[in-house]
Amino acid sequence: MSRNGKRPKAVTFLFFGGKGGVGKTTCAAARAVAEARRRARVLVVSTDPAHSLGDALAVRLSARVTRLPVPVAFDALELDAPRAFARWIANHGEAVADIIANGTWLDRRDIDALLGLSLPGVDELVGLLEIMALAGRDPLYDFVIVDAAPTGHLLRLLAAPDAVAAIAAVFDALQEDHRIMRREFGRLGRPEAADRLIELLVDQAARTRALLRDRRRTTFEWVMLPEELSLEETKDGIAALRRNRFHVGGVIVNRVLPAGPPCPICDRRRVEESRVVARVRRTFADLPVRLVPEQLHEPRGIRSLGAVARLVAGKEAALRRQTSLRRRPSASAAYADAGSLPARRQRSAPETLEALRGARVLFFVGKGGVGKTTTAAATALRLARRDPARRVLLLSTDPAPSLADVFAVSIGDRATTIRGGPNNLRVRELDARAVLKARRAGLESALAELGATLGARESSAEQLLDLAPPGIDELFALLTVTELMAPPNDEGEPPEYDLLVVDAAPTGHTLRLLEMPAAAREWVQLLMRVQLKYRAIARPGRFAQEIVELSQSIRRLQALFHDPDATRFVVVTRAAKVPQLETDRLFDRLRALGLAAPIVVVNARTLAPGRCPRCRLSAAAERRILAAVERRCGRRRCAIIQTPLVAPPPRGPTMLERWASRWIA
Amino acid sequence: MFVLDTLLIGSLRFVLDKVVAAAEAEMQDDSALRQRLLEAQMEHELGEITDDEFAAIERDVLARMRELKGGESHGAISMSKGVTVDVEER
Repeated sequence: MSRNGKRPKAVTFLFFGGKGGVGKTTCAAARAVAEARRRARVLVVSTDPAHSLGDALAVRLSARVTRLPVPVAFDALELDAPRAFARWIANHGEAVADIIANGTWLDRRDIDALLGLSLPGVDELVGLLEIMALAGRDPLYDFVIVDAAPTGHLLRLLAAPDAVAAIAAVFDALQEDHRIMRREFGRLGRPEAADRLIELLVDQAARTRALLRDRRRTTFEWVMLPEELSLEETKDGIAALRRNRFHVGGVIVNRVLPAGPPCPICDRRRVEESRVVARVRRTFADLPVRLVPEQLHEPRGIRSLGAVARLVAGKEAALRRQTSLRRRPSASAAYADAGSLPARRQRSAPETLEALRGARVLFFVGKGGVGKTTTAAATALRLARRDPARRVLLLSTDPAPSLADVFAVSIGDRATTIRGGPNNLRVRELDARAVLKARRAGLESALAELGATLGARESSAEQLLDLAPPGIDELFALLTVTELMAPPNDEGEPPEYDLLVVDAAPTGHTLRLLEMPAAAREWVQLLMRVQLKYRAIARPGRFAQEIVELSQSIRRLQALFHDPDATRFVVVTRAAKVPQLETDRLFDRLRALGLAAPIVVVNARTLAPGRCPRCRLSAAAERRILAAVERRCGRRRCAIIQTPLVAPPPRGPTMLERWASRWIA
Repeated sequence: MFVLDTLLIGSLRFVLDKVVAAAEAEMQDDSALRQRLLEAQMEHELGEITDDEFAAIERDVLARMRELKGGESHGAISMSKGVTVDVEER
């Protein structure tokens, strides 16, 4: 594996997966440092649409490879999925246009318009193909380390080969008539570019599928926090990976509190953490479990990552000694009262209520792991309790939802009450795939009709739906929000709920979701134009009906989201540098989308550090970040809510409500 | 002669039957109207026609649909003196 010695023949792909905010990026970057120190040729790539790899390395990164300086020279890049897709279209757009022209009645102008539209989700598939293509014949790297998107979207990304195979099948069906014609007229000769593209896609899908499942070549490292919630999510995530026959290499438990002087907060955390770590070891007895202690300072930049590097790449046995985490804290520390909070937290309460008052939709957004689910759940509980006449729905749109884990009950795609919670509160984990499935019959016949309209073979419509392009299901899921909050007949029946509290997926994908209505509207409009253009050949029917309804529904959703009185985005963050950088970008993006974000929740503040040096250090660092948040918020005129750090994190309706009562009057 | 008459009237009747059925279908089948409405909805969504224009088309289409429904109860259409063609209710 050395630069000077023999060149290894194969690249090793290391994916760092896990829920948002557990430290995937830090661990991936640290692993890159570790491998580079062993003189391996390393590329570290971020595929999360909300990149933080550059923030973690404290280097400005782009979609182009950036060489990090010696002594640990390695390459890093932040994948720009839309650009990767644009590159793909530049290379293959002609062939795709040929296929569509051969298989349908669409003319070149229609096709060009079609290919010019953005395809939410498809760009990421192309991104994955680009990464996996690094395993070429003469690989440039020994290790390709992938800082992947949070769980829900990672699993979808890994299904990319199947999606590509489905696209190839649709293309193939479209091309078939043309091939028959060519055979009839005896013009066989060389295969056309279109046929070559189909072959390429089939081949690429098969190779990527095999490569991702080759345990000698591709390994998944699972990163988690020593918290109950994180363990539940880890069990689900690893089970999903194994179900799909991906090779899991190990579990990294990140930010484990090391031993230290007595402290009411830290001691309780240690008790909880050691219990969770013990359960992790029991649950994943067949996997190496590596512990990474919480660093005194946020690990940013190559030097501080170096401290983590040994731990994420080292042998397990050595790690146990190094981290000295096995010492059990005193039992008396367990579950003591969280300690009194300073008076300043009281001040935020009335302000909080004012910012929340009158809203019909509260959309909780933010970086993974900052506590969106916990704060959204606590807010929904508290607001429902305060006003029993108000019908409140708490809805998760995260493909890897954790509402059930936060409430410590099972929740599904049907709105249910929570035992111990207020009666006027319903909770639901939106299952985008199920929403699409429910509409499938209608969509299928509509698509078949569209196929007939355009002259395509019947089978392509069904194949198109089998493919269920990523993002499409989420769009339909989002439209259920419209049905719940803005029913079609404006004068008629009132909406089903008075207040909708949305617990969204981590930033990157939520932004994409919020951009989707506009993208979808463009699609729908193009389809309507095509339908009107060919109305003489194919009378508008079922399909036209569907797209008209879709167009109206999207318009209502956009109106609801862009009404600052009705919909408010609540930006959740933590008082730390990396979340802060992402929060800044999030604010800019929301503003660019014309969405109102009048509330910031700075979650889990160390408000009563006492005499513990670690807590005091955290509190001081937090205060500096908070001052910056306050300055920016002053300009944007948004309210700041500070929530206190409690250990263990609040779980179940009773604890959540008690916690919320400290910051919502 | 009687045979010829019967044949003549018979074929005339056959032709008339077809004509009336077609006219009836055209009037009773509101699919053309629905299609017009759907097209107007698409044009409206695309911003090709204004709210007012759309509302006018919608009013017109709905009025004609109502007319159609009202016309259904007649049941028979008289073509000329002496020849009455019965049309079955649908």
